[in-house]
Amino acid sequence: MDGTLEFTMGLSDGIAWPWPIAVYLFFAGISGGALSVALFIRFYKKQVTNTAFLKASALVSFITISLGMLCLVLDLTNPLFFWRILVYYNLNSVMSIGVIALTAYIPLVALIAMFALEEEIKRIAILRPLLPIIDKLRGIRRPCEVAVLLLALSVCAYTGFLISALIRFPLINTAVLPALFVASGLSAGAAAAKMLAVGMFKEDLHSQDMKILHGAEWPIMFAEALFLFMIIMSLMTGNAGAQTAFEAFHSGSWAMVFWLGVVGVGFMGPVLLNFATGKRFSHSAQAFYLSGLCAVSGMMCLRMFILYAGQNFAI
Amino acid sequence: MSENIERRRFLKCLGAGSLILAPLGCSSVKEEDSNSNRPHYAMVFDQNKCVGCGECKEACNKANNLPEGKSRLMMEQQSGGVEGQKCSHCGKTECDCERKYVRVSCQQCKNAPCVTVCPTGAAHRDPATGIVTMNADKCAGCKYCIAACPYDARYINKDTDVADNCDFCLNSKLAKGELPACVQGCRYDALIFGDVNDPNSYISRLLAVKDSVRIKSHFGTEPSLRYIPIVKQGV
Ligand code: SF4
Ligand code: SF4
Ligand code: SF4
Repeated sequence: MDGTLEFTMGLSDGIAWPWPIAVYLFFAGISGGALSVALFIRFYKKQVTNTAFLKASALVSFITISLGMLCLVLDLTNPLFFWRILVYYNLNSVMSIGVIALTAYIPLVALIAMFALEEEIKRIAILRPLLPIIDKLRGIRRPCEVAVLLLALSVCAYTGFLISALIRFPLINTAVLPALFVASGLSAGAAAAKMLAVGMFKEDLHSQDMKILHGAEWPIMFAEALFLFMIIMSLMTGNAGAQTAFEAFHSGSWAMVFWLGVVGVGFMGPVLLNFATGKRFSHSAQAFYLSGLCAVSGMMCLRMFILYAGQNFAI
Repeated sequence: MSENIERRRFLKCLGAGSLILAPLGCSSVKEEDSNSNRPHYAMVFDQNKCVGCGECKEACNKANNLPEGKSRLMMEQQSGGVEGQKCSHCGKTECDCERKYVRVSCQQCKNAPCVTVCPTGAAHRDPATGIVTMNADKCAGCKYCIAACPYDARYINKDTDVADNCDFCLNSKLAKGELPACVQGCRYDALIFGDVNDPNSYISRLLAVKDSVRIKSHFGTEPSLRYIPIVKQGV
């Protein structure tokens, strides 16, 4: 025995945060990422119309954040306790700050979705009562978009800060985790939204928006890989606790999830589909959807890996 | 050289002068800034005396009305065989290792991550006693505190669906002026409880003469539980 006195048992019976939390982190990342990318493009290109990509992003963003909240509530020991998080606050708590951000974010996303989907709403009879509201609020659309862009990025980062505060787990308790989650949220969110834009809102595969997205995709993915590499290196060269956590990358089933899911599907998948296949296939619709699905599943694997492998290798 | 000593003496006086402001002069500066006139409740686990009988667990279960078989502490056996099982220290089924137990429970951190992360303030520090305890009516069951506790010392009470930790029996025993149930229940005096800010308390006098350690102090949580480990002669 090296230390003076230690114990290894715990009272909690295993993993405190199981898969619904990983799914929540996933959905929140997609929601924030999709909307951020769409609004970036809107501001950058000074667009005033409702583009197909904006419509798709707003819809994806609203649906995913709602599903994410559902996961969060269902993971509470008793979902009926949910109101307590909304009523009591502790400003020292990352989660509490996140709840405040989300209570502003979710209604604003709904509003942005209403603005973006105005024409579709006109066509659906049961949604028509929303039209007068849209008309009334049209004046504040711009400030809302700016606020939502900031909030969307904060929500992405918040999912990282939420878990990086857990000091017992070296894989999770790292400084670059929030940055990694922002990067992977942007890339998977953009992928999800562009699939919907093409599939549902009939965006042309080679439109201007798609070209910008295509150009932005690779640098973001590169940043993501870089952040992951930083985490791996810091664990590999770190102290005893970090070295134990480094095992997560080379032993056990979570290592498989990492190498096959995150690296294989998430990174290599899109890269191979775009650069290793003939020009005809890589510009086809199949390649487009397949590479989008790869990016999204890679992100899901990343969240699962970080949460489970992280909690398995505690110090 | 002598100038150096002079300077050091001067700095010492300066330091001591600032300490007079605090009502009680005690040796550690860190303790000073956190109200030394308030109590700081602490517990000592003496490994030399513990025989692993488990009476503490039963006492805890009864005193705090916990679900069947659950208590807010565990005993981890670290060496010495149980019949039919391998010794966790040497790995043999039969060995001469001395039996060693360690108390696993909330360490009552002075800098408690569970209190920091709790979004509702359900996990909080009792203002009067400074003990980390629970307000079950506020807990949302999010389990953030459980993931954040570096000692894995929290759990969900299956009866109430809220998080729980050892709070030195704050509401069940201390409120009645009694000692914590596990301390009362231990027949071998392996558990000592008291106020370490009171220089005359038994626990203060014990800690003044015995070497004790804190667990995983590198987390920087400043735990209030202290352990007197079994030390072999000559090590
Ligand atoms: S040991 Fe865990 S539960 Fe107890 S005060 Fe420290 S952080 Fe909180
Ligand atoms: S489980 Fe309860 S006590 Fe723990 S952090 Fe959540 S609300 Fe606070
Ligand atoms: S002090 Fe009370 S709550 Fe804590 S372990 Fe002992 S009996 Fe249980």
